[in-house]
Amino acid sequence: MTWVRGGGLTTLLFLVPLLFAFGAFSWYPIVRTVTMSLQHTNLVQPATWVGFQNFSRVWHDPLFPVAVRNTAYFAGLALVFGYPIPLAAAVLMSEVRKRRGIYSALAYLPVVIPPVVAVLLWKTFYDASTTGAFNTILGWIHLGPYPWLQSQQWAMPSLVLESTWANAGGTVIIYLAALTSVRTELYEAAAVDGAGVWRKVWNVTLPQMRGILLVTMILQIIGTAQVFLEPYLFTSGGPANATLTVLLLIYNYAFGNSLGGDYGMATALSLMLAGFLTVFSLIYLRATRSWSTE
Amino acid sequence: MNDEDLGRGLISSAEWHKRSVRWGLGGAQKLLLVALVVGGLGPILWLAKGAITPTIDTITNPMAFFPHGAAWSNLREAWTTVHVGRYFWNTVVLAFGSWASQIIVATTGGFALSVLRPKYASIINGLLLATLFVPLVVLLVPLYIEIVHPPLIHHSFIDSYWAVWLPAGASAFNVVLVKRFFDNLPREIFEAARIDGAGPFRLFSAIVLPMSKPILGVVSIFAVLASWKDFLWPLLVLTNPNEQPLSVRLPSIQSQTSLGVFLAAMFIACLVPIAGFLVFQRSFLRGSGLGGALKG
Amino acid sequence: MKSTRVATTVAAASLLALSAGLVASSAAGSTGSGKTVTISVVSLIPGSTSAAVQQFNDQVAEFEKANPTIKVKPVEYQWTAPTFAAKLAAGTLPTVFEVPFTDARSLGDNGQLADITSYVKKLPYFSKYNPAVLAEGTDSKGQIVALPKGAYAQALHYNRDLFKEAGLDPNKPPTTWGQVRADAKQITQQTGKPGYVEMAKDDNTAGWILTTLVYALGGRMETGIGTKAKATLDNPQTIQALNMLKAMRWTDNSMGADFDYGWSDINQAFAAGTVGMYISGSDVYTNLVQASNIDPSIYGIAPIPLANNKNAGVLGGGTLAGVRPDANAATKAAAVKWIDYYYEQPLISKTQAVRNAQTLAENKQPVGVPALPIFNKAQYDLANTWIKPYINVPLAQMKPFLTGIFKQTLIPEPEASTQSVYHALDAVVEAVLTNKNTNVVQMLQQANATAQTAIEQGS
Repeated sequence: MTWVRGGGLTTLLFLVPLLFAFGAFSWYPIVRTVTMSLQHTNLVQPATWVGFQNFSRVWHDPLFPVAVRNTAYFAGLALVFGYPIPLAAAVLMSEVRKRRGIYSALAYLPVVIPPVVAVLLWKTFYDASTTGAFNTILGWIHLGPYPWLQSQQWAMPSLVLESTWANAGGTVIIYLAALTSVRTELYEAAAVDGAGVWRKVWNVTLPQMRGILLVTMILQIIGTAQVFLEPYLFTSGGPANATLTVLLLIYNYAFGNSLGGDYGMATALSLMLAGFLTVFSLIYLRATRSWSTE
Repeated sequence: MNDEDLGRGLISSAEWHKRSVRWGLGGAQKLLLVALVVGGLGPILWLAKGAITPTIDTITNPMAFFPHGAAWSNLREAWTTVHVGRYFWNTVVLAFGSWASQIIVATTGGFALSVLRPKYASIINGLLLATLFVPLVVLLVPLYIEIVHPPLIHHSFIDSYWAVWLPAGASAFNVVLVKRFFDNLPREIFEAARIDGAGPFRLFSAIVLPMSKPILGVVSIFAVLASWKDFLWPLLVLTNPNEQPLSVRLPSIQSQTSLGVFLAAMFIACLVPIAGFLVFQRSFLRGSGLGGALKG
Repeated sequence: MKSTRVATTVAAASLLALSAGLVASSAAGSTGSGKTVTISVVSLIPGSTSAAVQQFNDQVAEFEKANPTIKVKPVEYQWTAPTFAAKLAAGTLPTVFEVPFTDARSLGDNGQLADITSYVKKLPYFSKYNPAVLAEGTDSKGQIVALPKGAYAQALHYNRDLFKEAGLDPNKPPTTWGQVRADAKQITQQTGKPGYVEMAKDDNTAGWILTTLVYALGGRMETGIGTKAKATLDNPQTIQALNMLKAMRWTDNSMGADFDYGWSDINQAFAAGTVGMYISGSDVYTNLVQASNIDPSIYGIAPIPLANNKNAGVLGGGTLAGVRPDANAATKAAAVKWIDYYYEQPLISKTQAVRNAQTLAENKQPVGVPALPIFNKAQYDLANTWIKPYINVPLAQMKPFLTGIFKQTLIPEPEASTQSVYHALDAVVEAVLTNKNTNVVQMLQQANATAQTAIEQGS
């Protein structure tokens, strides 16, 4: 009674939306992922417990190593293209004296475009015939025509290019915000020491941004490891599974068969990916702890 | 983050006067601006051009500039015959519901955790933080099964907008963001209100909410944007084409629509996000920076 | 006080009646407090022209007039693997829905289609069904779970204008695969457009067309039935077909630059006049008109060339109409009546065939698109004479197919785990078309292993 009178009921009342939303749509599903990965479910007959059979079947699926390799390739390429470029752009932008707003707006514009539109638009750009938009432009300087999405070698880089275009702007803005926290005394001190522009960037800017740089990197890796939209809409995982990623494989397990999906294998693979990312993050945080603290 | 601070950072005023710096760095910046215009704005301008160019011209000569005049009928055809208008409306309705869901959960939850502070708050905070680190892939399949066969209720929520609205509220990011904001509100105001006899409900509606306009603005913008961009989840749970939002519908109608009309449809789909961005630029960019601060 | 109590009682009673009525209704079909039954039926592909929608609604109105106790609710739907599985799992499919031949038996065995045997047997023309076609809608226990609504055979579609432009006679389409290759090469050289294109998307269509080619050369993808079947994807004819594609793609360069065509996109490309020939079902003309507004004068259709092999045949398939498993007796009866009226009557009753053709023609929808008989051939010929005055498709241009198809042996799609077999082949086709140095034999062996696993698991 004192609890109620003390406002306990009211507090609980305020928490109802949160508890309902998270309980029903976050925490319960997480638990279910674990249980379903140990069951054979097809929604027609009741579920049966099958131990680690789903994990074993995923492990032995010939498409599993393909998906893992492709996902690592995508994440790796995305890191090479999508990580340093926004940083360089942000550093340049932070020193713009007039009308910096235009730079920020232009950089962020691709981020607000709905991803489906961006992908479908780039799909028309990537038309492999000589009258495709990119092939036409490259044709002006006597290059191409290139197969883009129609080639097993070119498909994944094509996806990464579009993905970088669509997402780099967000990273640029985050870096810009972080750059303001670099203490100006450090720059002045370095200048006194005779450091030029490059040295200042290397010795002051980057170390000061260590924290945000490390966090952005791990977040980008976690994000790109779960890429689904680009392979799904651009190439459906093709050609010949060259762009099949782990998320796409999960989708195919669960939703690809018109007679009903194998939800056990789908959840097993989801857990394997989540587990890998968790372990990876822990190792990453451990290894970079010594770097990020001064 | 104003211009004054930045001008005095990496490059001092003295250095700017050095010719090598001005030409080198200045040149690099100009190059960046060109790259941003061509690369960032270019594709969008091409889309706008393609939306009002006849299909045959776009196919045979994609980089030409209206060789045979414009085809404004593309837009009209996209809106009516292809029913882009209907899908646009669906997207609006979905965005509104998702926004409401997120605001309700984040404000009430953040308020309870930050202001009312029950003893068990730390447990909930811990759970929320843990949820923040769970990759989204883990939720996909079981959430779908839950919508198809909800426990306790014997009625599936497939093809119902509630299947999109309700799960949208479970955003740990939003709750943490709002809670942090509430944490930073001056406690004296709460004390003063309590002394005046205000109960929790009054405190919430008359004091906290009005003071939270900035953060609610940021959360709202990102909620609406996220909903507008959402693809996989509405694809899975909304199987009735007449109820689907633009992002789900556009890929499906591509093979029944001529290219010009299709580009017009895509352009229409971009109008709200672009317009919203231009109007609310500040909040967008500040919110992104905030996101970065949060992660840092 | 008394009036209040009466009012309350009345209110309570009506509330009870109302909720009883509500409880009795379900998505499956409802028997309201009167005697009307409401069924939902699959109508058209979303995005169909308003004229097409109008003609469907006209037919619904006519049916409801003839059956005042039945109300029909049209539901637009296009079958794709993920959305069908979703609606199936959620139980939100319309009362009457369509399934391809390949899925019906498994769905019936899994209890996902209603047993309509008793209702179907009462149909007056039941004995006239082509037994092979009817068998596609019968489950392993011999119960009829779906009625055929249409059957098709694969055909070679070609652009008559491009043929003319390339110096080929549009009335003499290729009759051997050697000629297909030569004609494709000529079209590419003379017009710059790809002479032959093939579906190569990862959504099972690549495997479907490859299987068509293999059947035409005399090979088979499986032996045996059910979970005891044996996958034979890596048979010599498959290798032969892939090598032929390889030659056309890399040596002749006659297959263009796009290798991710699915069923709808290839139709769209053909209707736009940008490709010379492709293989798809004999009934695609309807889609070419409804979705892509094709210019009828460019359309030509020929039977698939068959190799000189006694096992060579043309892949046939079809669609069936089934009923939700949770339908009650009244709903099932109404559903079968609708199936009878909308799908079967136009093929078996003169008045209905004529009325149907009239409605279609008035709304400028194609009448007379080539189809295969689901009853016996005599009935099929008879039905065609009934609708003759309303035919608005270029029948003369379709002559090669209409005369040639009945000389060909029809072969049903691989029976066990059809979609999984096709899916395993998708990657092989894509690889051959995008990588000059694909090791065809090795990839086929892998595909065979994958297909065998799927067959054994019954998926």
